[in-house]
Amino acid sequence: MSWSDIRRETAFVLRKKSVSLLLVAACALALFSVWTGSVEVAQQEATIERLLEGDKADREEVTHKHHAYGYIAYYTFHLTYAPPSPLAFAALGVRDVYPWKHRIRMLALEGQIHESDTQNPELSLAGKIDFTFVIAVFAPLILILLLHDLRAAERAAGRHDFLIVMARTHGSLWPLRAGLIVLGLWLALILPFIGGAIVNGVPIWQMAAVCAVVLVYLLFWSLLCYWVARFTFPAPVLASLLLGIWLATTYIIPSVGNVAIEEAYHGPEGGDILMTQREAVNDAWDLPHQTTMDAFVVSHPEWQGKTETSSLFEWKWYYAFQQVGDENARPLFQAYQQIAEQRYEAAGWVALLSPATLFKRTLTRWADTDAKAAWQYERDIRTFHAELREFYYPFLFNGSEYNEESLAERPAFQPNNTNKYPGIFH
Amino acid sequence: MPDAVISASNLCVDVQTKKILKNVSFNANRGEVLALLGGNGAGKSTTIKTFLGLMKPTSGSVWLDGVDVQKAPDIVRQKVAYLPESVMLYGHLTAIENIQYFLSLSGKDKSETEIVAALQRVALQESAWRAALSGYSKGMRQKTAIALALLREAPILFLDEPTSGLDPVAIDEFNRLVSQLAAQGATILMVTHDVYGACHVANRIGLLRDGEIVGMFDAPEQGNIDSEAVHKAFTQGVVA
Amino acid sequence: MSSTVFTIARDEWRYWRRSSLAQTVLIIALLLAAASVWVTHAAISHTTEQRQHMQSESITAFEEQPDRHPHRMVHYGHYLFRAPPPLGSLDPGIDSFTGNAIFLEGHRQNGATFADQKQSTGLTWVGRLTPAYVMQVLTPLLLIVLGFGVMTREREAGTLDFLKVQGVSPLVLLAGKGVAMAGAGLLVLTPLIIGALLTVLKGAQVVPVLTFILSYLIYIVVWCALVLLISTLARSNSVSFSGLVAVWILLCLVVPRIASNTASVMVASPGKLETDFAVLKKLRQMGDGHNANDPAFKAFKDNLLAQYNVDSVEDLPINFRGVVAQKSEADLTEVLNEFAEQQMAQQQSQAVIARMFGWLSPMIAIQNASMKLAGTDLENYQRFMREAEAVRFEFVQSLNKLHAEGMSLEQDANKYKSAEARKAATVDAENWQMLEEFQFTPLPAGQRFSNSLTAVLQLLFTAGLVLAFTYIAGRRV
Repeated sequence: MSWSDIRRETAFVLRKKSVSLLLVAACALALFSVWTGSVEVAQQEATIERLLEGDKADREEVTHKHHAYGYIAYYTFHLTYAPPSPLAFAALGVRDVYPWKHRIRMLALEGQIHESDTQNPELSLAGKIDFTFVIAVFAPLILILLLHDLRAAERAAGRHDFLIVMARTHGSLWPLRAGLIVLGLWLALILPFIGGAIVNGVPIWQMAAVCAVVLVYLLFWSLLCYWVARFTFPAPVLASLLLGIWLATTYIIPSVGNVAIEEAYHGPEGGDILMTQREAVNDAWDLPHQTTMDAFVVSHPEWQGKTETSSLFEWKWYYAFQQVGDENARPLFQAYQQIAEQRYEAAGWVALLSPATLFKRTLTRWADTDAKAAWQYERDIRTFHAELREFYYPFLFNGSEYNEESLAERPAFQPNNTNKYPGIFH
Repeated sequence: MPDAVISASNLCVDVQTKKILKNVSFNANRGEVLALLGGNGAGKSTTIKTFLGLMKPTSGSVWLDGVDVQKAPDIVRQKVAYLPESVMLYGHLTAIENIQYFLSLSGKDKSETEIVAALQRVALQESAWRAALSGYSKGMRQKTAIALALLREAPILFLDEPTSGLDPVAIDEFNRLVSQLAAQGATILMVTHDVYGACHVANRIGLLRDGEIVGMFDAPEQGNIDSEAVHKAFTQGVVA
Repeated sequence: MSSTVFTIARDEWRYWRRSSLAQTVLIIALLLAAASVWVTHAAISHTTEQRQHMQSESITAFEEQPDRHPHRMVHYGHYLFRAPPPLGSLDPGIDSFTGNAIFLEGHRQNGATFADQKQSTGLTWVGRLTPAYVMQVLTPLLLIVLGFGVMTREREAGTLDFLKVQGVSPLVLLAGKGVAMAGAGLLVLTPLIIGALLTVLKGAQVVPVLTFILSYLIYIVVWCALVLLISTLARSNSVSFSGLVAVWILLCLVVPRIASNTASVMVASPGKLETDFAVLKKLRQMGDGHNANDPAFKAFKDNLLAQYNVDSVEDLPINFRGVVAQKSEADLTEVLNEFAEQQMAQQQSQAVIARMFGWLSPMIAIQNASMKLAGTDLENYQRFMREAEAVRFEFVQSLNKLHAEGMSLEQDANKYKSAEARKAATVDAENWQMLEEFQFTPLPAGQRFSNSLTAVLQLLFTAGLVLAFTYIAGRRV
């Protein structure tokens, strides 16, 4: 293979109208996905900005209005959020289904954390085009259209044997043509991404990793197309075969796998968690304070001896039964979470049979927009909520006088930035 | 290793269970034109495809210029120019562009002047040189392909039914060109069912029927073969 | 002439019977359609049963609560579960993206919680194995693989000219091919039709079910006509095939997502969290219903005292705290509803934009028609949210009424003083029998039918357009 071979085939490939049309379409699709993805991420960031502002004003008002730790803890909401990562524009992931923002207060957490402030369900149903979808789903289809008749078209035109006899080396014909087409498609898809990545401040190494994994994914499909294109069937039969493989791996295997996994892993219903938590919290009103406190000191032995109550309503008792309510619901929640994780993990095995799903899981992992990232955010909320309790409990159980300055020490939610740039092989 | 430039020895080709070629042997030396004559399904195209390395012999072998085609198809293809029965060049390219493309594919680099010279030599009208090939008649496409074969400067030529579909004038022109090439030292194997055309240009004619060589006609001088005898043998199955 | 049409159709069927490619795709399509009907039906029946069970459990739990202060019951709250409508087993629509349970309590409008997606495998991102998806997205592909060559094959083999010489007009040929293709489409549609008819036995109304089937039939016609059109226009089999696949990618995969992206970019919906700020702000202005001494209630108090002609709240014949709770709940609900309606309107306007793309892509049109007729669309979800809010408001206000009338202000104010005082500030548990059996029913048949009209019209428009083009192309063959 020489430069003249490359020049010749490049000119040849680009002169075919269908090839340039498909490349332009692919590029347009990638551009659209990158543009709307960036707008979406910008909207999320703007939302966080507005929420932070509103949250601050709201908290100041509460602080101004109330003058007891019990009331302050009751009325003060704290904004928690998971900001979109730089790469999120390319892989919007499940952020439209899993919450990435919550305002929580020191009441029982299980009653608050499962609320979903999600997007329009009708739009979620249609799904969105993000860069990941363009690569995972459309790119193979475009490759199939471009490569399936690599030989069959020449055969149908009666040129196949002539070309083979003419070609000086085997490599300078079919592999070169296919290679140039794949390279062209890769460029058409990746250039919009690189533009978006620069605008969104994606680190260079991550950009390079995405470019590489896109190339690997395209090469996988190209080799498959190239292999199938060798068969001496008419072009439409070859294309049907490739479409069948695409359909099986992209839709049929995942959706059947989904049915099987949902059958295989059953656990508590989401509603059960809420019911249990509610029962525990409400029953506590009718129970002797000591019963609640006894349960409370099991997990908080440091307040042993300070749990006496003198009236029928005391804040420390109120928050203690909120805590106990959470603890009662915890096994259920953990079981629920475990099922979710088991399902997701099982889906990982199914994804091995579905390159598109594997690709999507990889990219959403890197972009921190997958279910795992959502769970991490939930863990962050739990940690923060626990910190909040640890902050208030001393004031409540020691019966401290209210002092507004002490609120300066109150924990504030910090979005988890350590996880912002997860390693490639995370 | 045979001395002849084109050589088949005990060639058998099966496609699935069907025997297409049965123990075919022949030779053509440098500067010779060998014509294989046969009806439909006699195995003419299979013979050419085997020489081009597009089909594998079941047994026996084919040699070009002393090289076993099976062992080094890429090397022998460098020495071969091939004119398929129906020439299908790229319709969206012009004659010159087509020639440039295919020459480049075979690793040859020719200037446009040389290409024009070749097109003149095959007498393709000048108005067609820079027009897209999709508007060409069969004869014009054939001429373009011959020009391409000339430019390849290949010492060996394979011609698959080269004159079918051409008008009498074009056939005459073509035959003259073949003779010229042979005189310049090219070795040519053509398969055809045109008895008189073959007799006109060949040094040797092999009669192919049902995959077997059923007769060989030789002439020391080109175009000296007794066409009546060949015709009789071809149509009546009688070998003189 | 009609006999010629059927002869042509029969010939095409015979061709498919002898083509292993055609047979393979037909079998796969039928298997997928049948499997999707079965799997979705099983899953939905399970969910329905479960949700009904949880619904009655929730009511029982509420009613079994002991004697209590009524405001405690306001916070104890109540759950509503939404059972899917009968046709939902064929098109679950947006159900798996919306929460299916809602917790009703005082002073708050909670969102629906626990969307199934939160426990999902993440494998259904391309599409779920539902009859709707199989029909909307995969059946067109089947028709393409079966029919790309209906005209180009005749053209390539030279039989087209031969047929014309025989006196078969190209339009008759097209009609015959169209009948053949519609037959294949109908075959794959069979599981869905049977499934739809079965839902009638389960209480689905006839008009939506028939319209549901009809809209899928129109959709099949659209695709048959598209396949015919492109096969007529194309020079060769492979051009026809590639062209049709490109059209499929565009109409079934690209445009729906472009619609969704466009809608969310054009109309930003701020989400519940942001409206919460506004609600909290209003709430502070209106006063907290838990605190009857809030200065915000001064005007209300003066009014009430004047109305009963007394000097102080202690002299009122009713519990002032309960009255304040009632009033503030009513005021608050007004504000909450205002914001809820605003959010619903935003989602509506997003949906309207996305649905407009139904003029471009028949897939969007059929998706909307199907969801609307099944009762699994955004309107029905919002109806559920509104009904839930009505239930919430009613039971909370009934409890607040008990609060106002079931005890004196003094009893109420002293409830934390001692165990006896607390006992005095309770009402009898018999009062908890206030919840009505809740069963969410989608919009009435007529309403669903008229909601689906735009989408059906979009389908008819596309069908007419493509058929007209096919006719024109056919006359030029």
